[in-house]
Amino acid sequence: MNSELLRVEDLKVWFDIKRGLLSKPVYVRAVDGVSFTFNLGESISLVGESGSGKTTLGKTILRLYKPTGGRIIFEGKDITDNESGDMRWYRRETALVQQDPFGALPPHFNIYRILEEPLIINNIGTREERREIIYKAMEEVRLTPVEDFAPKYPHMISGGQMQRVVIARALIMRPKLVVADEPVSMLDASVRVEILELLRGMQEKYNTNLIYITHDLATVRMFSHWIFIMYAGEMVERALTRELLSDPLHPYTNALLNAIPEPDPENRNIIKEVPPGEPPDLVNPPPGCRFAPRCARVMDLCKEKPPELEIKERHWVKCWLYK
Amino acid sequence: MDDKLLLKVKDFSLSYRTRKGDVEAVNRVNFDLKKGETLAVVGESGCGKSSLARGLIRLFPRNVKNVRGEILLNDRDILSLDEETFRKEIRWKEMAMVFQGAMNSLNPVLKVVFQVAEPLIVHYDTDKNLAFERAKEVLGMVGISGAFAERYPFELSGGMKQRVIIAMALITNPKIILLDEPTSALDIITQENIMNLLKMLKKELNLSYIFITHDIALTSELADKMAVMYAGEIVELSPVENFYSNPAHIYTRLLLDSVPTLRGEKKLKSIPGSPPSLIDPPSGCKFHPRCPYVMDICKTEEPPFYKISQDHFSRCYLSEDKKV
Repeated sequence: MNSELLRVEDLKVWFDIKRGLLSKPVYVRAVDGVSFTFNLGESISLVGESGSGKTTLGKTILRLYKPTGGRIIFEGKDITDNESGDMRWYRRETALVQQDPFGALPPHFNIYRILEEPLIINNIGTREERREIIYKAMEEVRLTPVEDFAPKYPHMISGGQMQRVVIARALIMRPKLVVADEPVSMLDASVRVEILELLRGMQEKYNTNLIYITHDLATVRMFSHWIFIMYAGEMVERALTRELLSDPLHPYTNALLNAIPEPDPENRNIIKEVPPGEPPDLVNPPPGCRFAPRCARVMDLCKEKPPELEIKERHWVKCWLYK
Repeated sequence: MDDKLLLKVKDFSLSYRTRKGDVEAVNRVNFDLKKGETLAVVGESGCGKSSLARGLIRLFPRNVKNVRGEILLNDRDILSLDEETFRKEIRWKEMAMVFQGAMNSLNPVLKVVFQVAEPLIVHYDTDKNLAFERAKEVLGMVGISGAFAERYPFELSGGMKQRVIIAMALITNPKIILLDEPTSALDIITQENIMNLLKMLKKELNLSYIFITHDIALTSELADKMAVMYAGEIVELSPVENFYSNPAHIYTRLLLDSVPTLRGEKKLKSIPGSPPSLIDPPSGCKFHPRCPYVMDICKTEEPPFYKISQDHFSRCYLSEDKKV
């Protein structure tokens, strides 16, 4: 269980938004110095607000973006600088479940053809063998009766069913690493649970390493081994799920947990304490701790960059309060 | 909150004409709203909750077919008013609306203070300078300081744009504000900030809200009573305490079971199937094809409203004598 699948070291992804001949380039520091290791068979929930860099991190791990700095090591191989030509094996080992199923499926392919595409590209099986694989994949995501769904086009099915097709497509090559980018944010509440359970079931069945990207902390409790909290391009806290939820350390994590509405009618009578303001501009982030300008427990020390500290066993936090 | 009845909706129905047939988007909806009270309307997408809100403020799409029922605002039927009177006397003056995703519809080339002041200038012929004064005052109420009032929408963050939208709804001093998913595109901390703002405004101005959302946990931040909609109908109407602790309709119970919570170890469940087509809805109780407790009568006879307790009604045969 403890052998390493993926290691990320001081990963930086900066996007240049302005480049002139004479002027200095201007960067958005979407991901700025993130490190972690990911062991076989585990799953991570990557949680943060929009603009925190969680999607960029996920997509960079899949090497859909090229990192600006740092290293990505997959099964001991450094894939940081691979050019797209020698990435085909990596594409086979990894997959992405997109956020928006309505935009992720080609409208002119039927479901059968959509699921056959990765098999054709990777030269898998004969026509008959492929049919068997596709039907089995459809059964697994409960698109049944299979014969009814196979000839349908994306516009003929519901959002939840589309997301099942996206999941089936992502998993059909049995990848080792799957990044699911807010897979249920576009779906109705009643369907969400179903899709999440499906994803978790598949993760357990095939021992896939799953990175689940979300802004919704309430859905992660049932979901993953680890929770990683991102804020303004940095990883501010990471720990095992139960540990993080029972003993959140970083002030940002606490604010995030506090902001989640729990279904209690008393809520309407209280004004919650919420950090003021908005996340910083990532072109010119604050020099020290990036949460400092909004933090209720800010100190002088916070003007300097906090180190990532392992406070307890396997519980890391980036905050001066714990030095 | 005083007990003065402000709005009474009686058998309100709304249907649209489409190429495939007529859609019964809102079907015989009844509810009351008191001054200072908040009604939250929840349901899955397509259940008619946004149609209901737009119907109340009479912003019908072009393909509207039938509008029936009565909407009494201070005992005056505003549904039978002609369009001109409604526009002059009701819309925005008595009842304003915060539209879903409106923060992305701000005019990019106008300063926000102008956009907030516009209803006053257009509808009330207010002097421009006075209108700007008032706009700045309202922007201050929603937490946007003077300097930001002179900015353009692209210079504001999502949360601030949403505050501008709320200011627009407040500027004409309405008594009722319809909130259609007011925080759906916002981050969770920003969402809490907006919820805090709405709570404070409600208290200070004694506003009534009709709060439309699919996020059930979020309703607890604002609602005094709850309406659960399914396939165009209100299936349960209850005080918020009963909604969480003693839900009557099977659909409400299943909906509550699908809400993820941070604390507690409850097992999440999903509701099998999907909502019916409103062009050709099922007979009897519209939820019967998905209901795990379905009985023969549910398939043929439409259930009446059963009174569970004071102000608590459920449209489910199992709510009779509280069988379940």
